[in-house]
Amino acid sequence: MTSAVGRPVQRSDIAAKVTGQSCFPQDYSSKDQLYAKVVWAAHPRARVLHIDASRASGVPGVMRVLTAADVPVNEYGIMTFDQPVLVPVGGETHWTGDRVALVVAETEAAASRARDLIDVEYEVLQPIIDPAAAKGAPDLVHADRDSNVIQHLFVHRGETEAALAQADLVVEATYHTQCVEHAYLQPEACLGYIDDEGRVALVVATQWPHDDIRQLAHILDVGERQLRIIVPAVGGAFGGREDMSLQPLVALAVHLLRRPVKMVWTREESIRGHGKRHPFSIRLKTGCTSDGRLLAIEAECVSDAGAYESTSVVVLSDALSFIGGPYHYPSCKVDGYTVYTNNAPGMAMRGFGAAQAAVAYELQMDRMARALRIDPVEFRLRNILTDHAVRLTGNRMPEGTGARECLVAAAQAAGWSECEGHWLAPEITQPALAERRRGLGVACTYKNVGYSFGFDDKSTARVCLHLEPSGQIARATVYLAAVEVGQGVTTALAQIAADALSLPVERVKVAEVDTATSPDAGSCSASRHTYMSGNAVYLACQKALRERVQALRGETGEQTIEASYTYRGKSRRPTTDWDPVTGECSPHFSYGYGAQVALIDVDTETGEIELLKVWSANNAGKVINPATVYGQSAGGLAMGLGYALMEEVVHEAGQLRTRRLSEYYVPTALDMPREFVDIQIEVPDPSGPFGATGIGEIPLLSTAPAVLNALADATGTYLDTLPATPERVWHALSPGRHAL
Amino acid sequence: MWDAYLVASTVEDALGKLAQLGDSGRLIAGGTDLVLQAQRGECPARAVVDLTRIPGLSEIREQDGYVVIGAAATHAEIAASPLVRTWAPLLAQACASIGGPQIRNVGTLAGNVVNALPAADGAVALFALNAQVEIATLSGQAWVPIAELYRGVGECTLDPCAEMVTAIRFHSLDAYAGCAFQRLARRRVLALPIVNAAVVVRVDEGTVSDARIAVGPVAPTPFRAAAAERVLIGSAPTAALVAQAAKLAARDAQPRSSLLRGTATYRTAMVEVLVRRALTTSLDLNG
Amino acid sequence: MAQLSFVLNGCPVCASIEPGDLLADVLRDQLGMIGVKVGCGEGECGACTVLIDGKAVLSCIYPAPKVAGCAVTTIEGLGTSDQLDVIQQAFVECCASQCGYCTPGIVLAAKALLDANPQPTREQIMVGISGNLCRCTGYYQIVDAIALAAERLTGGEP
Repeated sequence: MTSAVGRPVQRSDIAAKVTGQSCFPQDYSSKDQLYAKVVWAAHPRARVLHIDASRASGVPGVMRVLTAADVPVNEYGIMTFDQPVLVPVGGETHWTGDRVALVVAETEAAASRARDLIDVEYEVLQPIIDPAAAKGAPDLVHADRDSNVIQHLFVHRGETEAALAQADLVVEATYHTQCVEHAYLQPEACLGYIDDEGRVALVVATQWPHDDIRQLAHILDVGERQLRIIVPAVGGAFGGREDMSLQPLVALAVHLLRRPVKMVWTREESIRGHGKRHPFSIRLKTGCTSDGRLLAIEAECVSDAGAYESTSVVVLSDALSFIGGPYHYPSCKVDGYTVYTNNAPGMAMRGFGAAQAAVAYELQMDRMARALRIDPVEFRLRNILTDHAVRLTGNRMPEGTGARECLVAAAQAAGWSECEGHWLAPEITQPALAERRRGLGVACTYKNVGYSFGFDDKSTARVCLHLEPSGQIARATVYLAAVEVGQGVTTALAQIAADALSLPVERVKVAEVDTATSPDAGSCSASRHTYMSGNAVYLACQKALRERVQALRGETGEQTIEASYTYRGKSRRPTTDWDPVTGECSPHFSYGYGAQVALIDVDTETGEIELLKVWSANNAGKVINPATVYGQSAGGLAMGLGYALMEEVVHEAGQLRTRRLSEYYVPTALDMPREFVDIQIEVPDPSGPFGATGIGEIPLLSTAPAVLNALADATGTYLDTLPATPERVWHALSPGRHAL
Repeated sequence: MWDAYLVASTVEDALGKLAQLGDSGRLIAGGTDLVLQAQRGECPARAVVDLTRIPGLSEIREQDGYVVIGAAATHAEIAASPLVRTWAPLLAQACASIGGPQIRNVGTLAGNVVNALPAADGAVALFALNAQVEIATLSGQAWVPIAELYRGVGECTLDPCAEMVTAIRFHSLDAYAGCAFQRLARRRVLALPIVNAAVVVRVDEGTVSDARIAVGPVAPTPFRAAAAERVLIGSAPTAALVAQAAKLAARDAQPRSSLLRGTATYRTAMVEVLVRRALTTSLDLNG
Repeated sequence: MAQLSFVLNGCPVCASIEPGDLLADVLRDQLGMIGVKVGCGEGECGACTVLIDGKAVLSCIYPAPKVAGCAVTTIEGLGTSDQLDVIQQAFVECCASQCGYCTPGIVLAAKALLDANPQPTREQIMVGISGNLCRCTGYYQIVDAIALAAERLTGGEP
């Protein structure tokens, strides 16, 4: 029987998706449902003086207007409980995505009308909008904290200052990456109801239903068993559904009113109401020898955490952990700060700090290579991390370090040639028009797979074997709350289970995610499900097979065999948190790697960049499904292109100026490079299922730096601020013009 | 949104219905602008009168040396029209650059004009074509130069309760004419322009006999670069002359800084670039 | 309230509508066509694309009264899981859907394109779907699927 792993098996959900039969949260309705609408904070920083709901309550059909006083425990948050469900009278708003009241009515029209009739009186305060300024400022976003700095993290290893002083070449630059919106196509929606067992049940798109329940139990002051989350089809996530969005509001309304409640956000509410990618300022100072060996790196990073902590500390941790890139630095002095402001909260987004770091370190590598007149691929290969090499945090890389293989593959595909260890970039022909310049840029990046810094990352899978009377396995059902957000995890897990059980993949079903029946598989984040849940599923299958053998020997006549397995990420490779003195640690148990080469044309008169061709080589350890892995690579390129050239969330004094998709530009089909070469590398990680690690974030990381390095190749100018809009490029190409 | 949706069967019927509605009625064609305005509370209409079912109103035809485009003709129909592509290719290009395919299937050029925004690609092309707009009232109809419809940003001089655009026309461009349309935006489609430029020129025996340069959004209304036009007319077309004209166009353009689309400095510089490129293309000066 | 009569996926239907109703809401809430997806409500993402007399339009900003007497096609009018139509089958084979939210709209945009232009170039395919945002796929597999469907519909590759 041919194995399923490694084949482009048809996605288990695709027939339903192409026929429109897949149901997303907004597609669910209940007969006697109520409708809820949010009253949003009008100001990013204001004291709520008074909420007058009298006019709203008088609208026919309005059931309740809920305020903070109705919330049993008015606090939650994915790491720290610093976020209110509803801002109380006397409390302060911290961003315009804060919620002040919730209207619940019999019809959507009544809820909308009533929402507009709620009068909130504010004492408007001056918003804090610049993280660099807020860092040391006495004016605090959260009055109960000592400082706007949520956390200062660092790694100080070796004698960095001395090394830099002795380096043949020192390069220093400051990079600015922008605030980015997830822009998943499906706006937030939730149907909540009391189920047959009296639980508050939510049908909602979320990346970690069990963690939502943990927080909701705290908010409602009930046991976790009294809550249930069902995750139907999810219309994209990219990290934006890791924090809760409307779950607390709907759960509250259902809990209090004991009737079904539906809420669907408009796109404007979606953009307003969920967090964003952290903007970072990164100052890098790196030193190397004249023959291109890296000596030392100094870095200072400041991220805009926005209104609430969310996962800001972990994003900063990843940014610092990866700030040196997939290269060996003998010494480092890197510091990072994540700072509260009244802008949108920074939260998880595909790349999670490693994306921002990649822009800085890959432009820095390119600058050094250019200054030394060493080929950019060769310079990188001289320093690249391999198995057991020492990385920035002072620990050694594990087996399966595939950075070199990705860089070599992408470079060779793009035309680099190698002769006795020396690499030579291909010649490129310049376009005929004088104002158009063509350039080739390269970037090599990496990121952790799985949760890090000592976190006990786990995934639990339960496998149920349905036996024929003969004892043969007729089919299998796999239960785990590994959320399918479009990436193809459900199919990949079915393939893994099929091979573990020696079954055709058509006879394996991965059950719908329902916390009532699906065990906690951890978050759909950190590119972790193939690795973590893949291992859990594989080992649960093996356990089930052993139990089947026992059952058959014992002739028990059982027709179903069930087995569960909890896989722990730290079980094969323990991870540790930052050392309090040096910052050194062993933070991650697995990694993904990628490299891209970008060929661009620059219109030097307008500043427009046209991405002509991209070669993208990514190491997933083992390609479980080449078709879905290609999809991740192409999708990552699209998101990376947007990050590089056109996406930017603009705040002005804490108010969103990019409120709609007509103002926030996501790449269309016509913006994609006409040629794309996807190279799937398989340097296995022995600790992963079939050697697999993760792929979700990797194909995004190299795009922006490759494009910016191509810009430098074409024009001699590095642009250190994203996005590289035509205007920014035009300014950068014209010294003497007023800088932005 | 509105309380009544009426469908007109003729132009007279549309005007009659509007008259009955007093000041609370508005005409609707494709609705791609009107629906958004109504959702945002920017449209005072309590009732709309749909003109897209009026027979013949989406016709595109040639008449007495004019190309005549009916008020209900969509951007897609205009972009695909063999008449427009032959006799005013810049308009076909301009209409093809608006929104995306779905918007172009529904949005009308006349609606674009009546919306009176200075960046409207179709309108900018029409300014370069010296287009005229047919306005119908209950007492008759008349052709007016397109510039007369623009009072300011989003302000059309039409009385929306008593006047209706029924057609747009312009002279066909003959063999002595060249034209071009240039557009700069932050992505390839579904994006308002940072700057756009439409050019129509005519060369008779080696001399520029006519030049029309329209640019947006660099003024409250679509902008004709009159000084640039004057420097071209009567001279032999050369790269140096084109460069001079482009600089004049940039000098006279007064774009505003837009937080999302670009600073005035950049937009002004881009006026020079786009006008120069549009002139170079339409005068066929590429080497 | 008014009565709106039109043909939906080949069948005559009648819906009670308010004059200000938008087509997407009528199709979803009244006629059960939940395959019509609302992604932005302002005509900027294409997820709500339906066909009206064969032309792709954005139903989220399309006044419902406008479809009186017209033939409207939603994704439900193409195929079913047991009987996919040619375009849907090509999408499946080319893995042209990930989260699936843009998929109904993009399949219909593809249908409108191929009905009007049975042998489009790749560039023309990209123009045809340029009004449909996809945040997941990067579009290449979608373009491959439409090209494959075009070949099959014109009697090329089986």
